[in-house]
Amino acid sequence: MTRSFQVIVVGAGPAGSSAALTMARAGLDVALVERGTFPGEKNMFGGILHRMTSIEEVFPEFWAEAPLERHIAKKGTTFMTGEASFHVQHETVSFDRTPYNGYTIFRPRFDRWLAQEAVKAGATLITRATVEDLVYQDGRIAGVTILGRTGRISAPVVVAADGVLSFMAKKAGLRRPSFDPGQMAVGVKALIDMPREMIDDRFGLVRDQGFANEFVGCTGGVRGGGFLYTNYDSLSVGLVFHLASLRTSGKTPYDLFNAFLEQPQVAKLVRGGRLQEYSAHVIPEGGYAMIPELVGNGILVAGDAAAFCNATGVNLEGINLASHTGILAGRTVVEAHERNDFTTKTLNRYKERLNFSWVMKDLKGFRNAPKMLHIDRIYNEYPDLVCSMMEHLYRIDGTPKTSIPKLILREVREKIGLGKTLSDILTAWRAL
Amino acid sequence: MNIDEIFDFTSFTIDREPHIVLDTKVCIGCDNRGCTNACPARCYTWSETEQKMTFVYDGCLECGTCYVVCHRDAFTRWHYPRGGFGVAYRMT
Ligand SMILES: Cc1cc2nc3c(=O)[nH]c(=O)nc-3n(C[C@H](O)[C@H](O)[C@H](O)COP(=O)(O)OP(=O)(O)OC[C@H]3O[C@@H](n4cnc5c(N)ncnc54)[C@H](O)[C@@H]3O)c2cc1C
Ligand code: SF4
Ligand code: SF4
Repeated sequence: MTRSFQVIVVGAGPAGSSAALTMARAGLDVALVERGTFPGEKNMFGGILHRMTSIEEVFPEFWAEAPLERHIAKKGTTFMTGEASFHVQHETVSFDRTPYNGYTIFRPRFDRWLAQEAVKAGATLITRATVEDLVYQDGRIAGVTILGRTGRISAPVVVAADGVLSFMAKKAGLRRPSFDPGQMAVGVKALIDMPREMIDDRFGLVRDQGFANEFVGCTGGVRGGGFLYTNYDSLSVGLVFHLASLRTSGKTPYDLFNAFLEQPQVAKLVRGGRLQEYSAHVIPEGGYAMIPELVGNGILVAGDAAAFCNATGVNLEGINLASHTGILAGRTVVEAHERNDFTTKTLNRYKERLNFSWVMKDLKGFRNAPKMLHIDRIYNEYPDLVCSMMEHLYRIDGTPKTSIPKLILREVREKIGLGKTLSDILTAWRAL
Repeated sequence: MNIDEIFDFTSFTIDREPHIVLDTKVCIGCDNRGCTNACPARCYTWSETEQKMTFVYDGCLECGTCYVVCHRDAFTRWHYPRGGFGVAYRMT
């Protein structure tokens, strides 16, 4: 059986649903194809939905309409070793006012909601459908086939929003056939149940306030970091590892994760909680250098499929980029339909839109961040340095004290070396 | 968290047809076997005594790690499960 549409979107994640919503609102007949039983069933992430200004244009009261958990009013960073930790925190009333700066969410709820909004606008959502291949006719895209089903879905143009591994971009020859593990990370996460009052008391929160904390030095020397985010009545806790580094370390994500949860200061934060769900997913962390070819004859690539993720070391931004690039891809397809022309030449307008947008500007601006994040010392020596300096400052043990500048110099020399530290500072300076 | 108990806390609908098929002969000469430690669900096990790779897809989280980490193209098949099968997250 063949069903015909004006456009097919592969993947009902934030990129795909944003594209579908944009195109359906403009009157196109859209097929939104998702392999899960419902959109979001297959999707996990750390847990912070950063502010999405382009979605606020569609939903002016986004925070009142979308299924969100807590808004992030408080942010912290912890440098840690197996024994010690040094914590810094930022909180401001301005993050406690609408429009909020970010929220915790659950993907199975949020992605489902966004896809339903596309359906309300007129898109046809086809679930339990894993797209297997692109169908070409006379050298042009004519539709897609579904794994395990006969027939196909037809359309003259496809938006590939199928996430980080994007087999669609591969089949269209837009991405390289294999990935560089040096540009990829994997995240593992546990959802930990905890009563709401316990979370409020433990993290100093009231009303719908949420707390987001990042950890450095908790990955057994593997490049990566940890996170802990508060939902209403659960915590999202996890670790992220760069794959090249994890591979050579010989260590496993779950052993490192258990060690993290058992670190004395972390153990206190998760105490009393109950493990609900364990999940994992790969993240494209190569930044600007990793972006594939974005447009082909009859196809555009958006979201993670196009490596639109910005890991700056301060934030991990993905969903906001996915949604925005989905919208830009959608607008381009609407325009292509007006001209009835789906050639690369017309679809290249997508690239122009991207270059003009904050997405490309941010990725270009932070194009050296991946290099900084490859400094192995960040994940072991520096957290150790910070914790041991603080211990020296605080410790009173009847021996004469060292002056603070001397202490810093001594520790830096002993633990890392002055030259290396200066060169790392320079790399970080350039990256940020 | 005990990874052996993955089925106690994450839901799966397992297909008869595996979505990942590994040519384990390729693994015999592999110089790194990053899949065995990097897979977050421990789907790959290498036996040094038998010089044999065992792969089970049942608890696969469809994360993509092995696809990225394997540098020898050992997969005769690597695609996502058919619609409706595989891992099912409820609240992550
Ligand atoms: C551990 C971790 C932590 C993260 N933390 C954050 C964070 O805190 N904040 C943030 O903003 N971002 C974060 N990200 C990144 C963010 O999750 C992604 O950037 C975002 O999900 C990308 O959206 P997308 O729509 O492009 O792709 P996805 O969300 O991956 O959606 C792709 C969709 O396509 C479907 N699909 C794939 N292939 C097919 C096919 N062949 N046929 C049919 N359907 C298919 C999938 O089922 C899925 O629904 C994190 C990611 C990870 C892994
Ligand atoms: S990395 Fe590839 S070839 Fe090596 S053991 Fe793993 S699957 Fe086999
Ligand atoms: S996709 Fe992830 S969970 Fe599945 S086998 Fe590969 S590494 Fe393991």
